[in-house]
Amino acid sequence: MKIKLLFLSILCLSISAFKVIEENQFIIPLNWPKPVYDFAKNPLSKNKILLGKVLFFDPILSRTNTISCASCHSQYSAFTHIDHAVSHGIDDRMGTRNSPALMNLAWHKTFMWDGAINHLDMQALAPITHPDEMGETMINVVSKLQQSKIYPNLFYNAFGDSLITGEHTLKAISQFVLTLVSSNAKYDSVMRKQAQFTDQEKNGYQLFRKNCATCHTEPLFTNLQFENNGLKVDSIYKDYGRIRITKESSDSLKFKVPTLRNIEFSYPYMHDGRFKHLSEVLNHYTSNIQNSKTLSVKLAKPIVLSSNEKVDIIAFLLTLSDRKFIFNPNYFYPKEILMPKAKD
Amino acid sequence: MKYKISTLVVTFFSIFNASFGQDVHTIKLMFQNEFFNKTLVFDDLYFKINQQDSIQINELKYYISNIELLDNGNSVWKETNSFHLIDGSNNKTNEVNLNLNRLINFNQLKFDLGIDSITNVSGAMGGDLDPTKGMYWTWKSGYINFKLEGKSNLCDSRNHEFQFHLGGYQYPHNSLQKIVVNIPQNDKIKIVLALEKLLLPINLKLQNHIMSPSKDAVLLSEKASLLFSVKE
Repeated sequence: MKIKLLFLSILCLSISAFKVIEENQFIIPLNWPKPVYDFAKNPLSKNKILLGKVLFFDPILSRTNTISCASCHSQYSAFTHIDHAVSHGIDDRMGTRNSPALMNLAWHKTFMWDGAINHLDMQALAPITHPDEMGETMINVVSKLQQSKIYPNLFYNAFGDSLITGEHTLKAISQFVLTLVSSNAKYDSVMRKQAQFTDQEKNGYQLFRKNCATCHTEPLFTNLQFENNGLKVDSIYKDYGRIRITKESSDSLKFKVPTLRNIEFSYPYMHDGRFKHLSEVLNHYTSNIQNSKTLSVKLAKPIVLSSNEKVDIIAFLLTLSDRKFIFNPNYFYPKEILMPKAKD
Repeated sequence: MKYKISTLVVTFFSIFNASFGQDVHTIKLMFQNEFFNKTLVFDDLYFKINQQDSIQINELKYYISNIELLDNGNSVWKETNSFHLIDGSNNKTNEVNLNLNRLINFNQLKFDLGIDSITNVSGAMGGDLDPTKGMYWTWKSGYINFKLEGKSNLCDSRNHEFQFHLGGYQYPHNSLQKIVVNIPQNDKIKIVLALEKLLLPINLKLQNHIMSPSKDAVLLSEKASLLFSVKE
């Protein structure tokens, strides 16, 4: 009898172990570093990811029920806000920065252009409560979700509890954005030896490695650090970047190095979206670097590129476009859940 | 077989009860927020501080965490997952029950005023740490350790308001305070927070708001840590 029981419990344990593996949607791409996100504290599950996706697309998170996360982070633009230099929120209020593209966030320790946020779970709090973005409070969000027809069920399915909390709301949003992994660009196929660069792309890659890669480090195409890349201070925004957070003068004019993955789709460029085209970005690095005390040491030596070389670098940058990511149906608007109450 | 299993279950639960039910010894900490020996009443009551000036308090919230009992300086009991938000507007939050599983000799209480740095960087948490509790900064990550808001004619600010949101977990603006107070070996221990000792020395005309981790936040947190005393 005892042996039977033991066998039964081992069987149960192994089934549950399989279930965890099956539900875990997170796969680390080949030869990539270990993610910094602690999945043990927020283990992925299908239902939590689904809940996170619904929250991501639902304008209920904003005070006026008009702006969702997806408003400024749309899939076709690599989860950023294109056509606008700076992003706009409720009542057409303008922010002061360009919304960052969202991808490969499990590898990031800090968030926002100035690193104001120290954990992915806490990131959503900033746009939800910012008066120019979604202008809502977390306590209202939770109470609106609790009163809605769909959410108590979705939370129950995800967390085994229909009582909605701030913790569960934020963890669910994390779950969905953690699944936004872009690792299937042509560049990745070349690295996996499944494709080849053209001669132009190859030359661009070599120039890139020589001139750009110390900050835009492979495979994430960011070193995740804060750097002053020699931009002139905008006279209206007067944005000095990370110094606002650390109050250290050595952080003046530093912004987080953005990823270059999917850069074809995520224009305009820089923290305030001042450049519309990649050629403008390259011209900045070769010709317009503003010297200052905190200028990145990596830019101390001028970058010299001929116009042909710039074209080659851009050809390489376009190999970072990941169409499987941009058109991944797992990230589509959850119309089966939100459609009956969609307002637009 | 069915019979056997139910016996097993019954035996299990009686063991469970014996070890966790009967011997639980509870120490009740009662935090009492006072102004000149009067229990704090929010909003409508003004406390006179001299002939002309008065202070009204509208909000007081603070975290008590990492509670430990000491016996002559040696740690004899430590609460796990020890985070308590004391909210002056909600009497229920003023009592913290320490569930000891045996009789322990102690003569000191040790706790943190605020949230430690590891918890500050560990993502979303529930219970008293849930970000809906209004004690988490949204523009820059981190818990507010101690929040005190009110009005006074002394303040030059809009509506004569003062707002002190004390927090910060990173050097050099770590405002967490470690506090040790002597306590009697009782089941109920009353801990008084005498707010006048914090507010009166502040020049409210010049200093009426602290909203981010800073040198001032650290200084005021240090002062706040001295306010806790045990009433026999």
